[in-house]
Amino acid sequence: MIELGIEFVPRDLYWKTTFYAIQAEKIGFDYLWITDHFNNRNVYVSLAIVSAYTERIKFGPGVTNPYLVHPVVTAQGVATLNEIAPGRVVCGLGVGDKTTLQMVNIEQRKPLATIRESVHIIREIASGRNLEMQGKIFKVSGAKLNFKVPNPISVFIGAQGPKMLALAAEIGDGVLINASHPKDIEKAMKFVREGAEKTDKKLEDLSISAYTSFSIASSYDKALKTVIPVVAYIVAGSPEIILDRHEISVELASKIRDAIVHGQWKEAFSHVDNDMVEAFSICGTSETCIEKIDTLIKVGVNQIVVGSPIGPNMRKSINIIATELFPNFKK
Amino acid sequence: MTLEKIARNIPASLWNVASEKLIDITLNSPNASKMPSDLAKTILYYWQRDQLATEVGLHRLLDASMILEPDKTISLMEELGLSEIVVILKETL
Repeated sequence: MIELGIEFVPRDLYWKTTFYAIQAEKIGFDYLWITDHFNNRNVYVSLAIVSAYTERIKFGPGVTNPYLVHPVVTAQGVATLNEIAPGRVVCGLGVGDKTTLQMVNIEQRKPLATIRESVHIIREIASGRNLEMQGKIFKVSGAKLNFKVPNPISVFIGAQGPKMLALAAEIGDGVLINASHPKDIEKAMKFVREGAEKTDKKLEDLSISAYTSFSIASSYDKALKTVIPVVAYIVAGSPEIILDRHEISVELASKIRDAIVHGQWKEAFSHVDNDMVEAFSICGTSETCIEKIDTLIKVGVNQIVVGSPIGPNMRKSINIIATELFPNFKK
Repeated sequence: MTLEKIARNIPASLWNVASEKLIDITLNSPNASKMPSDLAKTILYYWQRDQLATEVGLHRLLDASMILEPDKTISLMEELGLSEIVVILKETL
């Protein structure tokens, strides 16, 4: 059974995000993720209002990070949301966006230990237990919520690198693989399997998502125009090993990165070519998107997250997903 | 005439198309930040309950689109052949 998720970036006014969230629930999405960047609208405020206008869809931060937000605060956030929408709240956790963290001078130190300890803290605190912990990263002395949390909250871990993918499968309830291309998902699945094997977890019990950059429209050109800025950012932030895998020139990636750093958007976007779009997004008409999603499912994911930008016109793109994409995957 | 009464004068046969187009005008408006929060929440309430293509829903959508995009709203009413409403809306400007 394939589950479908959608990601919203709360750059938009709260009522627009909520409007699209209601639309996403109506057409049958299973999960709704809202990104957490300090320079956008607050993720928990956004999720709280979404929770008030929806009834079925599962939702959560997708993803928050423990460098900027202490895991006890994350636990408090998801536990409070769980009070508003019992049983529908999930928690997406990752190491965060390097560029945004750099703006506040925060370094992504010891990511594996940080995520491992954070998951433990979130699970313990959000379960209402009293936590004493002397970790490598976090020290917690008798932290406990002053309210009850009736049901457990699943923790999903955003991952890209081999070790983080394995850790996500080992300790998470779900893995959010930051990739849109079957080659990347196939590689990732190897590490996900390794991680799951460490705890005798069955792969089918784990939610494994391709967390994609997605753009769908009535024509390829329209979809392409919207996805180019997102792809530029992904190329700029991708490690060499990933660029090599897709035969993308490291020099070109570097040019894009420099242009972004200097705010030369036109220059940055002008270097994005078809190979980059193919490697780092699902982009095009419904036929193209269905074909690519099919290949991702074949290599082992059981959730597809349609992530930012979704399309040139959000409402129309969600309608295209409803009428042309869903019939293929929501049987 | 209030926007509520204007909404009542939209024939039921046009509710769906009017609602769809008013939603587009509202969501895609560059003036979206002018939307009063209370009105936004009322629209979300009706949207959640599938009532934007009803008299009450259209009333709220007209409220919003006349704040954000009065000219486009009037053009839409012209396009829908609602000439009486066009005259009244122009008077409210």
